[in-house]
Amino acid sequence: MSAQLPKGFAALEPFAERWAGATAAERADLRAAHAIAERDAFAAACAPLLAQGLARLDQTPLAEQDEAEQRLMRLLLTYAHVSLAAVQGPDEAMHARLRTDMRITRTPADV
Amino acid sequence: MNTHVPRFEPVAQQNLDWLGTEPIPASAYYDPAWFELERQAVFRRSWLQIGHVCELPEPGSFVRREIEVAHASILIVRGKDLRIRAFHNVCTHRGTQLVAEEAGRQSSFSCPYHRWTFSGEGELVGAPDFEQFHVTKADCALPAIAVDICAGMIFISFAEHPPVLREWLGDLAERLEALPIAKATTFTEYVYEIDANWKLTYDNFQENYHLRFIHPRSSGGGTGPDNPFGYPARYGFHGPHRTQTIWVNSEAPLPSTATQVAFGTAMQRLAAQGVTATEDGRDYFALFPNFFLFGSPAQHFSHMVMPINATRSRGVFRLYWIGEDSSASERFAREHLMALTRDVHSEDRGVIEAGQRGLSSGALRHIHFQTQEVLCRHLYNEVEAAVRAYQAETAAGIT
Repeated sequence: MSAQLPKGFAALEPFAERWAGATAAERADLRAAHAIAERDAFAAACAPLLAQGLARLDQTPLAEQDEAEQRLMRLLLTYAHVSLAAVQGPDEAMHARLRTDMRITRTPADV
Repeated sequence: MNTHVPRFEPVAQQNLDWLGTEPIPASAYYDPAWFELERQAVFRRSWLQIGHVCELPEPGSFVRREIEVAHASILIVRGKDLRIRAFHNVCTHRGTQLVAEEAGRQSSFSCPYHRWTFSGEGELVGAPDFEQFHVTKADCALPAIAVDICAGMIFISFAEHPPVLREWLGDLAERLEALPIAKATTFTEYVYEIDANWKLTYDNFQENYHLRFIHPRSSGGGTGPDNPFGYPARYGFHGPHRTQTIWVNSEAPLPSTATQVAFGTAMQRLAAQGVTATEDGRDYFALFPNFFLFGSPAQHFSHMVMPINATRSRGVFRLYWIGEDSSASERFAREHLMALTRDVHSEDRGVIEAGQRGLSSGALRHIHFQTQEVLCRHLYNEVEAAVRAYQAETAAGIT
């Protein structure tokens, strides 16, 4: 399978298909969309690459990102949500139900 | 070096005695007759925050707002002369609602029914076979309502002669104008509907007594050993409006790396934009009747609680930003800061609805506010005063 992400981010390739939400609302929903083990694996893969990923993406203006860069951006944006599951810990499943009524309607990233 | 931090002292009751200590009638939180009085006395007379100038960047830009509490649909439009005006979204021919879109940009507004067409300034500029009517076009302009701006925020009023907005806001106007919202160019938004009275909903966000119970994991440095309930450092009362200065536990554990990255990026960007933390950065502004703004530059969120009926409301949260996302890091920061505030706010909705179910049962004649729920008491006092004034005017035949 060919790489879907910029060079240096192979550890995130297994998540590229399912975790790169297109909108903020989709990314927020992804936090609770898959099995806990997969969510935790995604978070564990993102955490050590966050600073490196943002530094890599900061080299290119947002409007000029190629497909691979856009996908990496979206993965890290999903991680912006998923990283909070650890804060909720054992309450995350209950918390996910509470979040569904708080609908995201606009973000600068979606405009 | 002396690093001793003085032990937290909550605001003393003696400083708040002037607001009273009596129980509050529970019916004010569910009774349709009381709600009708609030509708007339509060919501049809007060300035209501309903948007931001960044939503109307160009001539012809418009937003539509449904204001159920006034039984009104309102169009807010930036005209060719760049002025912002507010009109009832009602064709003056036979009352049809003109605009169905929530927002957009157009030079005129045509009624779908018979194609009466209005300019962005509200004038009737065209109507098919108008010679058959018995009025002039000048008499058929869109009905305007009062609109004014402070700190980039758009306020409307249904009052025929509302007070000057800056006088209504009093000394808060200048403080609001010094906040980032005055320079904001875009925002993030999340909304909710809730089966609860607007005051019951709003009150949840102006008392901290519940923090440790409802937000045990997400409230971060909001509580601590010196201040286990996270009570505010101080309160401010400004006519019908009020403020609280939040207390922060300086010894709280550091948040996650993602959160540190997000705050670090946001603060760096704000500094580059010349926005520095002010004394109001920890202040929570509650503008009568139904609007909040948190002064923190990095998590600069507003919250409007709009009544739909006596026991149903809609909440709109926004985080305001200056400039579009300038980099991947800034985009990440904004997404994470939104997720962080949304996590906290998601936790409140269910318990507020549970409170409404209890109150609506009629089981209680009164509810009780403790000293550190004084902002809830102040809101009730202000609402009650407005209702009593309205009733007195009605009885005297003034309205």
